Amino acid sequence: MGNLYHNKLAQWIVYVVFFAALTIIPMTVSDSFLLNQLATYGVYGMLALSISLCWGFGGILNLGQGIAFGLGAYGMAMTMQMQSQTESNPIPPFMLNNSLDHLPLFWQPFQSAALGLLLAVAVPTLFCAAFGGIMFRARVSGPFFAIMTLAMLSAFYTIILDRQPYTGGVNGLTPPSSFQFAGVEVDPYSPTAYWVVLCLLAGATVVAKLITQSSFGLVTQAIRDDSERVRFLGYSVAGYETVIYTISGLIAALAGCCWVMLVQYVSPAQLDVSFSLSMVIWAAIGGRYSLLGSILGAFIIQGAQSYLGDTFLATWLLILGGFFIVVVRFLPNGLASLVEAGLGLFERRRPTSSPAPDGGRPMPAE
Amino acid sequence: MDLGSLLNALILGVSIASIWLIAALGLTIIYGTAGVINMAHGELIMLGAYSSYMLQFYLGVPYLLCLPVSFVIVALVGLALERGLIRYLYKRPLDTLLATYGVSLVLMQGVRLIFGSDPKYLAVPEIFQSNVMLGSVSLSVFRIVVLLVTALLVLALWLLFYKTRFGIQVRAVMQDKEMAASFGINSSRIYMMTFALGAGLAGVAGALFGVLAIVLPTMGASYVVQAFLMVVVGGGSLAGSVVASGVTGELQSVFAFFTNDTLARFIIFVLIVVFLRFRPQGLFAQAGARR
Repeated sequence: MGNLYHNKLAQWIVYVVFFAALTIIPMTVSDSFLLNQLATYGVYGMLALSISLCWGFGGILNLGQGIAFGLGAYGMAMTMQMQSQTESNPIPPFMLNNSLDHLPLFWQPFQSAALGLLLAVAVPTLFCAAFGGIMFRARVSGPFFAIMTLAMLSAFYTIILDRQPYTGGVNGLTPPSSFQFAGVEVDPYSPTAYWVVLCLLAGATVVAKLITQSSFGLVTQAIRDDSERVRFLGYSVAGYETVIYTISGLIAALAGCCWVMLVQYVSPAQLDVSFSLSMVIWAAIGGRYSLLGSILGAFIIQGAQSYLGDTFLATWLLILGGFFIVVVRFLPNGLASLVEAGLGLFERRRPTSSPAPDGGRPMPAE
Repeated sequence: MDLGSLLNALILGVSIASIWLIAALGLTIIYGTAGVINMAHGELIMLGAYSSYMLQFYLGVPYLLCLPVSFVIVALVGLALERGLIRYLYKRPLDTLLATYGVSLVLMQGVRLIFGSDPKYLAVPEIFQSNVMLGSVSLSVFRIVVLLVTALLVLALWLLFYKTRFGIQVRAVMQDKEMAASFGINSSRIYMMTFALGAGLAGVAGALFGVLAIVLPTMGASYVVQAFLMVVVGGGSLAGSVVASGVTGELQSVFAFFTNDTLARFIIFVLIVVFLRFRPQGLFAQAGARR
């Protein structure tokens, strides 16, 4: 047998154990605020997962994941805002405060919860498909694509900030009541909300894992390692890149919806450059070549921020920045590579016949 | 529409362009030479502003002298950064981006710990605070100072890169590192010097921006994205950044004249993305091989 780390069966067992552990949490935690907080970690996990899929398995560093997340979040917030408007009072209060006397056209679909939810997911996904398609067709890649996503993110940030009557400006949107769908009200502090997030996180992880193990995923990893060779082999590099970027955007959009469902709030801060970069930090520290590692990276960093942040309020960013520098410098593949190396030590003690087949987590390019 | 105010916008555009350019100069040098994506550039600008503040507040150094001293201080910081971290990452350009973002977090929080989050102000000679009339346009004297400093720096950089031995060495390393090394050029030293130079330029920019805006630990973040865009649009060369800043500064000013500042910025960002769709290598792509 080879390194246990690359064993597909072992990987799936770890996934099952991981999600089983997350399933037990609501049965043991009675504090509803803590449960809500843990559910938001699930959202961060989804974001880290989306970064890992796009960056670790597609080689596309996306510094603008906040676009998909933010657009999803705004879509969800608009849906929830419209749910609290009545026949006699059809216009959200912040619009009235900005002397807008009718509901803008692009808000009208959000009067229907189903349509609003659909748009909240579809708009960011289609944006990713269009933006990715245009950029990758022009063979914009590597650092250039990263800068482009950064520019796009800043553009969205500015426009949302500027169009206060339509978007709530810097105050953002604060839907007064919790999300209702098909007659069920999802109280953000209830286990139901936690289950929704957990199901989406588990679903997204399984789908992402299957993608990375499929032949499609193998091609995207080949593109990551050497896009020119893959192009010469006759694959449509731009097509593959667009698809993996779009899937990653879809996951981030879902995360955005969940996030607003949990916190009932969205503002341009969710499209801030630093938030998108922190998603990249989660994946980088956890290990971008490992989906689970990235999710755990998000849990670890955000958990540490919540609990150490109180004690080391003033120095938290200093610690995070320093830790991040050390990881990038000495451990470019994140904490997951420590696990890989650890299991590799174990493997070396026994004679092996042949190296294990690649389990979707190949060695890095360099 | 009256022509006078459009002219006004055009003159203001030159001023905006000079601000964008001076923010991007250091980044251009660093990116153009070493291919390093320095996300900490904004924080180097911030350090420049704070070192000017310290010089003024504790030593009473006159403002104009703060500019060169800030250059030296931030260049030394850049030197330490390059020796301690960046030089291990030249072969991994995306990792330089990540590592320098870590550096930016550390610098920002470090400064916040030392100086607090409250804004600081730089004092300038009284003459800089007045306005002058250029035809029908009223422009603050300080913005003209910024323009002059930017022009001087561009001229100095051009002389440095095209008229000195050091400049020839830098350009040789840019074109082909191995070949340059085989001719006896110490490329590691060249990278170190250019990184320090780029950092120093950020320091000067910071000393100027500290007057245009208030000095805050977070001030750098607002400059770094647009500075990057100037570099990418320009293609990483000095001339490219000059033209890119000039054009975008003018466009920003004219769009702002028709709409407002934030919307103008949005339009600029979108236009840049569209432009790079058709010309990903930027305005003036550099000759020779990238490492």
